[in-house]
Amino acid sequence: MLYRWTRELHLYFGLFVSPFLLLFGVSVFFLNHAKVAVDRWTSVDTVRDVRVPAGLELLRGREAVDRAKEMLPQLDVTGEIGFTRVVTATRHFVFPVSRPGMETTVDLDLDARSAVVSRRATSVLEAFAYLHKMPGPHNVALRGNWVWTQGWRWFADATVYLTMFLTLSGIYLWYAIKAERRIGLAMAAAGAVTFFGLIYAVIS
Amino acid sequence: MPSSANASTGAKRRPNLETWNRKIHYYLGLFFLFFLWLFSLTGLLLNHGQWRLAAAANARTETRFERGIEPPAGEDDLARARDVMRQLGLTGEIELPAAAQAQGRFDFSVNRPKDASQVKVDLSTKRASVQHFQNSGWAVFRIFHTFSGSRFNAPGSHRDWILTSAWTLAMDALSAGLVVIVLGSYYMWFRFKRKNLALGIAVLAAGYACCALFLQFMWP
Repeated sequence: MLYRWTRELHLYFGLFVSPFLLLFGVSVFFLNHAKVAVDRWTSVDTVRDVRVPAGLELLRGREAVDRAKEMLPQLDVTGEIGFTRVVTATRHFVFPVSRPGMETTVDLDLDARSAVVSRRATSVLEAFAYLHKMPGPHNVALRGNWVWTQGWRWFADATVYLTMFLTLSGIYLWYAIKAERRIGLAMAAAGAVTFFGLIYAVIS
Repeated sequence: MPSSANASTGAKRRPNLETWNRKIHYYLGLFFLFFLWLFSLTGLLLNHGQWRLAAAANARTETRFERGIEPPAGEDDLARARDVMRQLGLTGEIELPAAAQAQGRFDFSVNRPKDASQVKVDLSTKRASVQHFQNSGWAVFRIFHTFSGSRFNAPGSHRDWILTSAWTLAMDALSAGLVVIVLGSYYMWFRFKRKNLALGIAVLAAGYACCALFLQFMWP
């Protein structure tokens, strides 16, 4: 009974999470080997008469991101704001906005109330890599300022938990087949030696 | 639970695609078990910087020292950085600044999962000042998730340490293995559940629909 239930759950949880595993797996090749010129913009537009929230240049952190978010519809931009930066000397307010398929930088002139919006369309693989890295470890207090990033976090976490379940249930299902135990143990041992050997070499 | 008799009878039969596919599924899964656990757990740590454990991983110990060195020798910046590292006894992945070096200076950083060093060489006084950061155990654990020595959005960054290349190869192998495991599982499901595919199709479609939903709404 336990075996049967474990096999069924292993199968159906595995099928559900498989597209996410493929996305995370394929994007690794992009993250490890691709090179992208991030300063080659697809388009650069100037938006005038931007309604700038009062005191924007004085705000920091999440508050600055929230105010910057209010301006996005005027700029026809949507996505996750990476950070905000005030260039005091020129009174410019700069922030990047990202989403799969598009990287945007907004350079807002606070005095002229005009914004230069530079867009770079990305490839599908770069979009996968973006999802792979989201929400990520940087600017923790700011991350998740776009509703889709918050949603994606749930699915990224679910992928991890389901993967943990799949590995543990997989061990149980493999161990139940006596004829496969010896070779399976040898493969697990070979994997462990490779894993800990590499970790040891890199650390020491 | 399958009996050993069935399994051994199966083993005597000439292995076909189905048998090999099943064996590959087991064996790859078992070989990559520890790699999967590491990338899964570090993935959680990376996505939850607010967790106490993740915050603890940010703690690192800083030390500084200065030492006289011979002028760095070499045909390019990478060779010169290697020469300085040899003199200072440093090892790891070299990261050269994206901008050109300032006149009379030679700066770079050296990274490994366990530590990082920022090296600043004053060529006129022949002195190197080193800012060394020792990472905590959890930080070391977490860094392995991203330790590839290359960033796709920094065209100037390249792997130059053999152990980074070895670790990257392991990452690639895991990813390729994962793709093989997933595609093999589709075949296994189709063979085993041929008479009752509806539930599997529904679950698989739900998984792809969730992925497509994100891409559909997030894509410009």
